Amino acid sequence: MDKMNVKTVFTIPIFGGIAVSESVVVTWIIMAALILFAFIMTRGLRTNKISKRQAFLEWMVTRLDSMVGGMLGGHAKVFGEYLITILLYIGIANIVGIFGLKSPTKDLNVTIALALMSIVLVEAAGIYFLGIKRHLHKFIEPTPVVLPINILEVVTKPLSLCMRLFGNVIGAFVIMALLEHVVPIGIPMVFSLYFDFFDGLLQAYVFVFLTGLYLTEAVE
Amino acid sequence: MLDIGWNLLFTVINLVILFVAMKIFLFKPVRNIIAKRQEEADAARTEAETMAAEAKQTKAEYEKALARTAAEREEVLATARRLADEESEKILADAREEAKDIREAAEDEGERRKERIIAEAGKEIADMVAGATAKAMGDTDDSALYDAFLDKVEEKA
Repeated sequence: MDKMNVKTVFTIPIFGGIAVSESVVVTWIIMAALILFAFIMTRGLRTNKISKRQAFLEWMVTRLDSMVGGMLGGHAKVFGEYLITILLYIGIANIVGIFGLKSPTKDLNVTIALALMSIVLVEAAGIYFLGIKRHLHKFIEPTPVVLPINILEVVTKPLSLCMRLFGNVIGAFVIMALLEHVVPIGIPMVFSLYFDFFDGLLQAYVFVFLTGLYLTEAVE
Repeated sequence: MLDIGWNLLFTVINLVILFVAMKIFLFKPVRNIIAKRQEEADAARTEAETMAAEAKQTKAEYEKALARTAAEREEVLATARRLADEESEKILADAREEAKDIREAAEDEGERRKERIIAEAGKEIADMVAGATAKAMGDTDDSALYDAFLDKVEEKA
């Protein structure tokens, strides 16, 4: 149970003490790693006779672009870079447990934050690209009967995003903990491949895919 | 795990910072370099196309010039040949004319010389006759006259 809880790393002594949790600190570590990686990889870029490092970097970015670009349509293409960032973050956050750190996605605060950002982006994109009138009119399309369902969707979309991610990560963690308790050697490694790597990356993909779907839907 | 609070806000701030940082440090440089390469490739392509077009034009001009040169050469050759023919004919005619003149002159000269010789011979004969006659006038005998004539003739010969 101790491993499952997200501990408070330190407290900021203002407003009667703001507790900064482990998930935030691990997020900082992931951010630092990602930014450092990007910084190192983008040193000395050239237009010809490129290094293997640059070739890999360009391959990676274009692959991620086409992957995310496939989920987005029309005006929503502009959110590609945001979605790639989220994909990288959730992907790393889900498998960071292997390096002895606690996955930030095991903290509900993080998944709620991600889901909130997604839904704010979706609604804002709808208003920005279609205008407030057209955006609101979408709630009664194709018939006004669906209005309550559509209003409900504004809540259920981020809720499902957030809970799916959180549930998958915490569920995988619980299963792995139980397995390690029952069979300490061998078997957990095979399952870890599925739960930590495959499921972790899959959930990152699912989160980004659904956000992309909502965005595309909102702007067309 | 489940207590929602400040950490939610921190996470939102973190993600916004991460997004901006990734935009600056990852996406911007990579997109810039790809765009730049594309630009360079486009420029190289345009340049190559321009050069090919120029080369084609130059070739066409060159071929035209070559054809013109060939025509000019033909013309020059023809003119030269015609001039040479005319010249040679003129020279031949002149030579023929000259030869005719020379021959006529030579014939005239021979005629004149013949006449002069004949005239001189006639005069000498008359002189000899006169001389012989004068000598013979002193002698009564005609033999002396013959002798004197013969002497004169021998002398002359």
